Amino acid sequence: MLFRKRTKSGENTDEENERLKKLLNAKSEMVSLGAHQIRTSLSAIKWIIKMFLDGDLGKLTAEQENLLRKAYDGNDKAINLVSEILLVNKSEEVVEKKYIFEKANIIEMIENTIFDFSGESLWRGIEIILLKPQTQVPEIKIDKEKILVVLQNLIENAIKYSKYHGKIFVAVKTEDKNIEISVKDAGIGICEESKAKIFEKFYRTENAQKKEAMGSGIGLYTTKKIVEDHGGKIWFESKENEGATFFVSLPLSR
Amino acid sequence: MSKKILIIEDDLFLQGLEVTKLKKDGYEIETAVNSVEAFKILEKMKPDMILLDLLLPEVDGFMILEKIRENKDMVTTPVIVFSNLSEDKDIKRAQKLGISEFMVKSNFTLDELTKKIKDLIGA
Repeated sequence: MLFRKRTKSGENTDEENERLKKLLNAKSEMVSLGAHQIRTSLSAIKWIIKMFLDGDLGKLTAEQENLLRKAYDGNDKAINLVSEILLVNKSEEVVEKKYIFEKANIIEMIENTIFDFSGESLWRGIEIILLKPQTQVPEIKIDKEKILVVLQNLIENAIKYSKYHGKIFVAVKTEDKNIEISVKDAGIGICEESKAKIFEKFYRTENAQKKEAMGSGIGLYTTKKIVEDHGGKIWFESKENEGATFFVSLPLSR
Repeated sequence: MSKKILIIEDDLFLQGLEVTKLKKDGYEIETAVNSVEAFKILEKMKPDMILLDLLLPEVDGFMILEKIRENKDMVTTPVIVFSNLSEDKDIKRAQKLGISEFMVKSNFTLDELTKKIKDLIGA
């Protein structure tokens, strides 16, 4: 997004970059504010329809109830859509922000992320198992906020695309110069035609759309960008309907 | 005796719906739309629970929560954050200030809110 070269006239592009950064921030704030306001209105609609459906405002005819249920579901879809918009906005904000590298305990970060998703996984009857290495994992220099997005995206995807009552294995191992994190699920997997496009911005496989209607297709794009900005690599192995394993390798020192 | 709840919410329409529902369930309700009104009420009464929005004019819900926790009479007063903010950093910040629950408005119905309140302070 930002200019890295000088213009033909030799004019420095720093000023232009600064202007673009300000524009991006303004856009991000506007989207966030607008989305929160829409979400507030949708909350009110949700509560009112529910009051009608619960009979708080008098008995409904079968036809009224049927239509109100459709309105309730439609409103919930709109709420999910707004949540997705907020998520995309947040992802862009995180990626555009300057990287701040600091020492971090990656195991602790993974444990906290698994804990944060425990409600969601429990609700779907999914067990997340962390396989830690025998030896102690050294602290690595990363941008904690951004790597947290990577961990959240990989674990959230594994939950979303797993079958109910499935198992997810998160494994960590250290190699010569790298630390490798893998997230393995036994979910819907990725079909051959989609494999080349999986990290593209806004791309979602047909299977993913069937399993989870809501989704922006920005998660893996953002994840790849953050991992590569850390000098790391991301790849995956998958068979359709058998599951997927995503691997992230990060340098132990920088 | 019915339990007292202070609702701090600047959106009058949402506030009205919350009041209607909670009064119907037998709670005594006080309302405030900003920090000034909230602290005026808190000088006169100690609620059994506070329902707190975060996006408020001038002084936000986090700052109100900090002030509430500084008051030794309200260190343990249950607070449910009821907001449309939903980012991890907001949830963690509120949790650090000692809340009982963080509920994203659009993810819950008023019935579910009332159930949570009943679990916390009783009917």
